Amino acid sequence: MSLRSATSAAVPGRRSRAPQPRSNSPRRRELGRNAFGYALLAPQTLGFLVVGIIAVGGVVQLSLTRVNVLAGTREFVGLDNYTRLFSDPDMVVVLANTFFFVFVLSIAGTIVALALALLLNQQLPGINFFRAAIFIPALVTTVAWVLVWRFILQPQGLLDSLLSVVGIGQLPWLRGGWLTLGAFAVIQLTKNVGINMMIFLAALQAVPSELMDAARVDGAGRWQRFRNVVLPQISPAILMVFMLMVSGSFRVFELVLLITNGGPGNQTSVLAFEIYRQAFRLNDVGYAAALAVFLFALVLALTGIIWQLRRKLVFHESE
Amino acid sequence: MSQSDRRRTVALRRVPTYALLTAVALLFLGPVFWMISASLKSINEVLRYPPTIIPEIFQWGNYAQVFTLQPFGRQFANSVLVMVLVVAVTLTIAVPAGYALARVRPVGAAAIFIVLLSGVFIPPEAVIVPLFQAAADIGWVDSFAPLVLFTAVLSTAPVAMFIMRQAFLTLPNEFEEAAVLDGANRWRTMVQIFLPLVRPSIASAVVFTAWFSWNQFLEPLVYLRSQEMLTVPVALTLFEDPLAGPRWHVQMAATTISVVPVLIVFLIAQRHVVSGLTAGGLKS
Repeated sequence: MSLRSATSAAVPGRRSRAPQPRSNSPRRRELGRNAFGYALLAPQTLGFLVVGIIAVGGVVQLSLTRVNVLAGTREFVGLDNYTRLFSDPDMVVVLANTFFFVFVLSIAGTIVALALALLLNQQLPGINFFRAAIFIPALVTTVAWVLVWRFILQPQGLLDSLLSVVGIGQLPWLRGGWLTLGAFAVIQLTKNVGINMMIFLAALQAVPSELMDAARVDGAGRWQRFRNVVLPQISPAILMVFMLMVSGSFRVFELVLLITNGGPGNQTSVLAFEIYRQAFRLNDVGYAAALAVFLFALVLALTGIIWQLRRKLVFHESE
Repeated sequence: MSQSDRRRTVALRRVPTYALLTAVALLFLGPVFWMISASLKSINEVLRYPPTIIPEIFQWGNYAQVFTLQPFGRQFANSVLVMVLVVAVTLTIAVPAGYALARVRPVGAAAIFIVLLSGVFIPPEAVIVPLFQAAADIGWVDSFAPLVLFTAVLSTAPVAMFIMRQAFLTLPNEFEEAAVLDGANRWRTMVQIFLPLVRPSIASAVVFTAWFSWNQFLEPLVYLRSQEMLTVPVALTLFEDPLAGPRWHVQMAATTISVVPVLIVFLIAQRHVVSGLTAGGLKS
């Protein structure tokens, strides 16, 4: 309800409103406005509700059933799929890997993006070339980026031969363990860090120069200026990037599918890949749905916690 | 100290910065160069150890093979078609919704906004199973319909609606009042007065949506079946020989083909691309 229509209703004698033929009563105007607004909102809202209910309602419902794809039958099994999820020894590895990516990618991803933005926020000849260079992987499709890296990491590939120059022998990049997870983290991080860097660059350039000058006059050193002036000013951008990285890092899927297929065994699998594998390779649709609900809950819980913490950490609360 | 001396010290001080910048740029551009290099090698040279950096003989034939091993032209057109359709559906539903939420504000607008925005928090991986079943029930398997409709409604329209709402919110009320005084009806006020003013934000929404659709891999992998219907990201993964393993040289040629048009668009529309992706960074 806007203030404007409320005041014009309270002052019926205002002549400027009165002579308009199409909206002679404020009440009718209000009705017309609502109708117009709902008409504009209807396509997206109805579409979203229908697809959203099929998607979210469907996945919860499926997670309570055992589906036999070949026979085409569906049987209600209560929470069996969830019990299996929490007692499945394979899930320990899958969850450990998932959280490894969430923590490493969200924290390192935010810090690296901020460091790059600080490095590139200088007035130097040719700086635009370097900005574009870091942005280019974000434009390449994830699949293309992953395929190129798979090619680089293959045994006797580019990376092995570069390392042999400095005297390091061939390393088992794709055979699981920390080495593979670390390589995955680098590939995923370099893919999209350019977007986050651009967000930080925009935030850095919006820091008022008067504040920086005032701090300089007060004798604040470089680090103090960064810590006490720049950091509070850009904290909303940091929060946004961090939340994006948290929800995005649950979605390391292309890497796992295309480079190691989750293997050897399930050593490099993550939750998102496990959903795909259970549903579309092993036809265990009910269990896959339980994994999906679990993934959904994890994303919501983590982003919710960070959103709650923002009061303590973010300077511009209103944003 | 003379002027030229001072200039030289400034330049010298910049050497470490440039060294660092170059190292970083190599990490990001190196893979792209390596992809192009491999795309012009023979398979024997690709597998040689230690590898050569510049191909001995440029094998342009690799690029021809891309199109003989798979209907890659058709697949490329599929990707473009899906992308255009996702953008069209997204704009058709999200621009009016953003306008309604920012300027018309019917009763309950705040609640509707929260509901629509909640799509941002639904991970596509988490809902692919029921959506695939729904598509199978309707008979949409191996068609673009689920790829276009589900993606637009669930993933891109929430972000586009958010971008458009922000854009409409920043415009002053005077425009609306002037339009009412001129006797313009609600529809004309929206189309003729407000829409032209938010063109940069529409460009951002288009870039984000196009990028999201072009990047999709899980959805086409699940919904599409026949080779003629595949989109580029899925097709790229299929340049493998059942006996000899990956055809690296052809795969890298195909990957190069998929990357080049995007880079050209980026160079032409740099400003819009950056603002679109960072605005839509909401869901990267």
